[in-house]
Amino acid sequence: MRVPLYLQPRLEPPLSSLLDAPNLLHTLVDALGSPLNVLLPDRIAENAERFRAVYRRHRLTGRISFAHKANRSSALLRRLAVTDPGAVGVDVASLDELQHALGCGFTPDRITATGPKNPDFLWLAARTGVTVHPDSVTELEQLAGLVNKFALPRVAVLPRLSGFETATGTGVSGVRMLSRRSRFGVPVGEAGALLDALERHRNAVDPVGVAYHLDTTGLAEKALALEQCVGIMDELRGRGLDPRIVDMGGGFGVGYVEDAGQWERYTTELANAVLGTRPALTWRGHGYGLRNEGGTLRGALGLYPAHRPKAGPGYLDELLSTPAPTSGRPPATLLLEHLYDLSVQPGRALVDQCGAVLARVLEARLTGSGDHLVRLGMNAGDMSLEEHGVLVDPVLIPRSGGEQEADNGPVAVHLFGNLCLEADLITRRTVFLPRMPRAGDLLVFANTAGYAMDFHAHSAQRQPVARTVAVTPDGDSWRWCLDDEYWPITQSEGPAS
Amino acid sequence: MRYDSITEAIGNTPLVRIDPAVHGLRHIDLYAKLEMLNPFGSVKDRPAWNMAGPHLAAAAERDETVVELSSGNTAKALALLAGMHGLKFKSVTNRMRIPEIKELLLLLGAEIEELPGQSECLDPTDTDDPLTRFHQALAEPGGTYLHTDQYFNPRNTQAHAAGTGPEIIKDLDGRAPDWFIACVGTAGSSTGVARVLREHDPDVTVVGLVADKSDFIPGIRTIDEVHQVGLFDPATYDTIESVTADEAIEGMMTLIRRCGLLSGPTGGAAFQGAVRHLRTVDAESTERRTAVFIVCDRAESYVGYVRRRRPELLGRPPRKNSAATLTEAETRAEATVIDTDAARRWITGGSPAPLVIDLRGPHAYAALHIDGSLNIADELFDELLRGGLPFSKRQPVLLACPVGEKSARYAALLTRMGHPDARSLSGGIVAWRDAGAPLVRD
Repeated sequence: MRVPLYLQPRLEPPLSSLLDAPNLLHTLVDALGSPLNVLLPDRIAENAERFRAVYRRHRLTGRISFAHKANRSSALLRRLAVTDPGAVGVDVASLDELQHALGCGFTPDRITATGPKNPDFLWLAARTGVTVHPDSVTELEQLAGLVNKFALPRVAVLPRLSGFETATGTGVSGVRMLSRRSRFGVPVGEAGALLDALERHRNAVDPVGVAYHLDTTGLAEKALALEQCVGIMDELRGRGLDPRIVDMGGGFGVGYVEDAGQWERYTTELANAVLGTRPALTWRGHGYGLRNEGGTLRGALGLYPAHRPKAGPGYLDELLSTPAPTSGRPPATLLLEHLYDLSVQPGRALVDQCGAVLARVLEARLTGSGDHLVRLGMNAGDMSLEEHGVLVDPVLIPRSGGEQEADNGPVAVHLFGNLCLEADLITRRTVFLPRMPRAGDLLVFANTAGYAMDFHAHSAQRQPVARTVAVTPDGDSWRWCLDDEYWPITQSEGPAS
Repeated sequence: MRYDSITEAIGNTPLVRIDPAVHGLRHIDLYAKLEMLNPFGSVKDRPAWNMAGPHLAAAAERDETVVELSSGNTAKALALLAGMHGLKFKSVTNRMRIPEIKELLLLLGAEIEELPGQSECLDPTDTDDPLTRFHQALAEPGGTYLHTDQYFNPRNTQAHAAGTGPEIIKDLDGRAPDWFIACVGTAGSSTGVARVLREHDPDVTVVGLVADKSDFIPGIRTIDEVHQVGLFDPATYDTIESVTADEAIEGMMTLIRRCGLLSGPTGGAAFQGAVRHLRTVDAESTERRTAVFIVCDRAESYVGYVRRRRPELLGRPPRKNSAATLTEAETRAEATVIDTDAARRWITGGSPAPLVIDLRGPHAYAALHIDGSLNIADELFDELLRGGLPFSKRQPVLLACPVGEKSARYAALLTRMGHPDARSLSGGIVAWRDAGAPLVRD
């Protein structure tokens, strides 16, 4: 057999220690069923602190905000609520998320309302005094209308901009940098109308700054966008307004796979498989966006870069130091020099290493065609790493618990779910495991707290939807409770009185 | 030599023997095919001329724009060729990572479009990659483009089959070399030359070199990227080996410092890859044999590339009067700092009043600054100080930056340079603003 194409997950404490407690994990799944989501709320606070350290290094002030849609957990939110109020906030993208954030202890000044917003959401945001990211001039006017109609206090707004491009010509960089198109935000080319609207509605809304959210891993594109935002902030100042914040979102990234070599070998072999020079690496030869046209590889690899040398805080550090294309000054310098605060939403990067999805192995069998099929007590909706193009191996936790069972050599398996649908594959990839799983074993999908955990879970098929528990270290052992029962005041002896 | 057009100077490049004392091979004569001596500076002059040449006159009549997906040398050659025929040239790429080449292209009049980076949140409904969109745009009716299509155009390969390959055989007195070693970019030169050499002598061994997957070597593709090239056929190569960026720079330095060949990193990679490959067969060999590698382009554009990876190769003594040489402890010990209140009193009541120098960028200064201050951005100030004090010692100076860090460093430096009264605004413009002191924009 060739070298198995492992994609072993990057594991850090406390998640790595939790996986060393197989009895606890088996007990939890025995008691609460499969699948089961496990969260480590303390780690999210640690992650926020790592981002703060990058801020301090660049002498920047402003907030790190958790994008609530990455995970619906109460424990994570409540844990963040007790971090530094001036430094950590939350972004909500629905009425329910806003209510949840308020209910978990976030004061309105720490909450920003983003995404497409319906009137109820806008009204509660305005009523409670959270900051609103208007997505368009229409939404801004709708907000101003609500403020006037219900005689609400002036609402802080951070209008979202998009469509950043450099034009060719003198006075600019000469290189036209194309940006990925976005459905959201006001294109910078139409910023004039936005500024007019902000000026017109100045007694209803207070433009405390501008926001941009770019879905790209490209540093240069983001540095360019920031530079253009600073320009628009100056125009706001020129109109007698007093903006303070540039809000930047998108693409800080998570490194899912520890070993660069594994990731490189895998992607090379995937290309070879698509070209037909090696056996398929996926169910029915799926190419993840690549296709074979007459021996030439076409298309683009639709995979998340699972090994990333710079992710999360490291990526922010690099971005803040990347010279912007027009001025040549790095974003951190531009922000400092213009006296602006920086807000960031590190999306999944803030929940890096914060949780895992546990699934029971129900059956492992060898088909007549030689495929090893492993059926799990979960379905594709319960854990959507595949949906996000993230390829990483699950960790096998044998039923035998503490007893060491010899690995019987690498085995290539396909992971299927509990639905009677041909399409219900946990991953289309052939997964290499150190040995063949058995019924009763657990597979742990590590580092799934960001978007993957239960982003698509629903009860339409009447299969059990995962319950979620929060786990915290307690001396040499662990404490756990249902997600809803977690409060950051809980101590070893029980709830603080 | 007298020519009517610079394009006549394309090709017929020298084949130069590498001194055995440098490569250390005992039985193999190693030759460098100096494609860097083509008039536009690289091996790509040949395919660019061969692909675009026949169409340029017609393209000029229709006022077309020459367009190519190129991150460097092909773009350079095409930009010059387009310019000679009064045409515009546009390069579309997301691989242009060498700033000097980007600027050189702009100097040549090229338009550059950079494709967006990879999506962070993958959209499963998005099936089009940027290149597909690019090809769709070219195919739109009414489009006025001459697309040379170097990765799929057989005239790329043909340029080398007609020129580079036969020239090597001619210069080796009618023999093909035993080994031909080439880096794979568009696969044009390796495929074209290999075809001719094999026709001449089926025993020639062709070694294709690709970049190590985790590395970036300008002009060379990684093993994954070569699969996306239409001209690439694995059967062309007897073996495909990878080289690292370190090896490329190492080879480049050997060619430059020991062989007098002003090669860029691609040539360096070819040399290093050739020697590495040949060393294993050299020992078994008894008769004299011959190997040829290609030096693709020249060193000048890659100084920044080398600086980032091997700064010690450009080692220079520390500059005189540079704030960068002051440690934090020295800055703390030697800089005089004053807070906003004291600074305001000094500005209004000082006799003489200090010259306030704002070290921020001009754009930030224009937005808001201390009334009456002078803007000299830190980079410029650093340059000024290298030559000595830019103002009289009798003129007190108050330096301001965003948070008082840079200004403290410059205050310490000015003190070292003999200025008796240079002070730094503690906490900078941020502290000034937070204290409610006035800032103006004019």
